[in-house]
Amino acid sequence: MLGLSALWAMWELELRRLRHDRLELYTRAVQPLLWIGVFGPIMGAIRAIPTGGIPYTSFITPGVLIQSTTFVSIFYGLTIVWERESGILKKLLVTPASRASLVVGRAMAAGVRAVVQALVIVPIALLVGVRFYPHPLYFLGALGVIFLSSGGFAALSMLVASFLKTRERFMGIGQALTFPLFFASNALYPVAMMPKALQVFAQVNPMSYVVDAVRALIITGDTSRLGTDLLAILAFDLLMFAVASASFRRIIE
Amino acid sequence: MALVYDFFVWGSAITTSNIAKVYARTVRALDGVDLAVAEGKIFALLGPNGAGKTTLMRILTTQIRPTAGEARVFGLDVVREGAKVRKIIGYVPQEMSVWTDLSGYENLLIYAKIYGIPPRDRPRLLDEVLTKLGLKEAARNLVRTYSGGMIRRLEIASALLIRPKVLFLDEPTIGLDPSARKAVWTELGKFKEGDGVTIFFNTHYMDEADLYAEEIGIINQGKLVIVGTAMELKRSVGGEVITLSLKSNAFAPERLRSLSFVQDVIVAEEEVRVVVQDAETSLPSLLEFLRQDGVSVTRVAMTKPTLDDVFLKYAGTRFEAGGRVSEVRQMRRMIRRG
Ligand SMILES: Nc1ncnc2c1ncn2[C@@H]1O[C@H](COP(=O)(O)OP(=O)(O)OP(=O)(O)O)[C@@H](O)[C@H]1O
Ligand SMILES: [Mg+2]
Repeated sequence: MLGLSALWAMWELELRRLRHDRLELYTRAVQPLLWIGVFGPIMGAIRAIPTGGIPYTSFITPGVLIQSTTFVSIFYGLTIVWERESGILKKLLVTPASRASLVVGRAMAAGVRAVVQALVIVPIALLVGVRFYPHPLYFLGALGVIFLSSGGFAALSMLVASFLKTRERFMGIGQALTFPLFFASNALYPVAMMPKALQVFAQVNPMSYVVDAVRALIITGDTSRLGTDLLAILAFDLLMFAVASASFRRIIE
Repeated sequence: MALVYDFFVWGSAITTSNIAKVYARTVRALDGVDLAVAEGKIFALLGPNGAGKTTLMRILTTQIRPTAGEARVFGLDVVREGAKVRKIIGYVPQEMSVWTDLSGYENLLIYAKIYGIPPRDRPRLLDEVLTKLGLKEAARNLVRTYSGGMIRRLEIASALLIRPKVLFLDEPTIGLDPSARKAVWTELGKFKEGDGVTIFFNTHYMDEADLYAEEIGIINQGKLVIVGTAMELKRSVGGEVITLSLKSNAFAPERLRSLSFVQDVIVAEEEVRVVVQDAETSLPSLLEFLRQDGVSVTRVAMTKPTLDDVFLKYAGTRFEAGGRVSEVRQMRRMIRRG
């Protein structure tokens, strides 16, 4: 199966690149450290936000984790823009791998990067004193959720890249995409606390479902909504893969 | 259906029929290109900036669709049978196409996997192409540390991994210094000899087409203006010129005109210009003839038409190399920032 071997190759590509250059992994861990180490404890001390009985820092840890990994995948579009400017994308198009497998392969390669990023942040959270739900399978499940959802976000960013085409324009959009997703989700506060309009957005915001699933798996252990969350993430992924594959023509012309 | 196969010449690696490409409904990059490249040949598509070379290659390599016309690679239609075409071709784009944050070996390994080369064959194949392109020593270093010539050779190595039947090279030596250019072509020559691969390359360097191509197609403003061997093209412009400086005054141009191999004689001031078909073989007879006539020659020079003259004749303008500097710089920058 050529499609599959191309997929694996792209994951391996990402792991090898990470092995050669780990700096980005660490610099991208700084922001989450500030959220969990500074923002969390201070906000938690006020006890202004109803978290359903869990410490505030623990409450926001999944959100901070997801914000960080989403950032990784959203900025993966930048890699695609660079590969378009260079000849890499042209060269990949001339391999027997199908265009859909290229799109899905690269998107899931961002997932690989995101999981590694999460593995860098988790020890920080542990050091800060966040109590994880003590179940290794649940933890692995959370990594799986991060992997899956990152693929969808990366495909979204490839879609954006196919319209923007230059890295300068892309840089701004990357920020403008991640933060609204983050703040209009259940990452830092329960959705019920938001203004009505924002609540509607939070309902369709894929990040809400990702945070909910990861929170259930690594903090609360309450998996009652996990099925819905996974379905939502899967639907988001499929939609993004389809749209990004369809618009891939645009990026190469 | 028979019409479709009309243009398919047996023994051709590449055929195109009336290929046109219009970008964004306005830019006519290709304007009816008919071409046949024989199997096992080295073919150069020579043309100035923006002539449409890359566009044609991107169509032949199934990246983009032509607006009109048909193209086949070993009989396979590049639009309808793109997946099959991609299995038998290797391609090096004009821009750099390797990951600079990996080693040369890793780049090849990833491509070997994307191509689905079985694990047991990989070590041997990788070793083979690395050795052939003189990269064995540097294989484990990051590509970031490579020179431009090494990067190009790595790209060619990766294009050769699947032992393609046709190798497409878009400006294979752009931005390289003369010695690096030579090294690239030496390695390519070896490969062509061993595997009989057909090589189709784009270039804007006239000397490169002249030296390395067995057949040259000249393209200008989306039109293929003429195809032939370098020799044929130059001959088609007109004969070669032998310029003589003579001592004696007793010289009669009519005597020379009577010679069978002389096409024309032009007397200009102190010099006599003799137009012949082939200067190298005509010169000895010409000198012998003059000696017998008692005319002594003090100086001889030969001038031959260049591809520039060919371009002038068929495209109606001089081949200008302007505007390339920025591109070379861009390429360099790309390599550095990778
Ligand atoms: N993706 C594109 N969209 C719009 N116009 C394009 C595109 N690619 C090329 N063109 C235009 O088509 C024409 C032919 O370009 P092409 O790149 O094929 O020429 P080339 O011979 O390869 O030139 P160069 O020597 O600069 O590489 C040029 O006018 C170019 O600006
Ligand atoms: Mg070009």
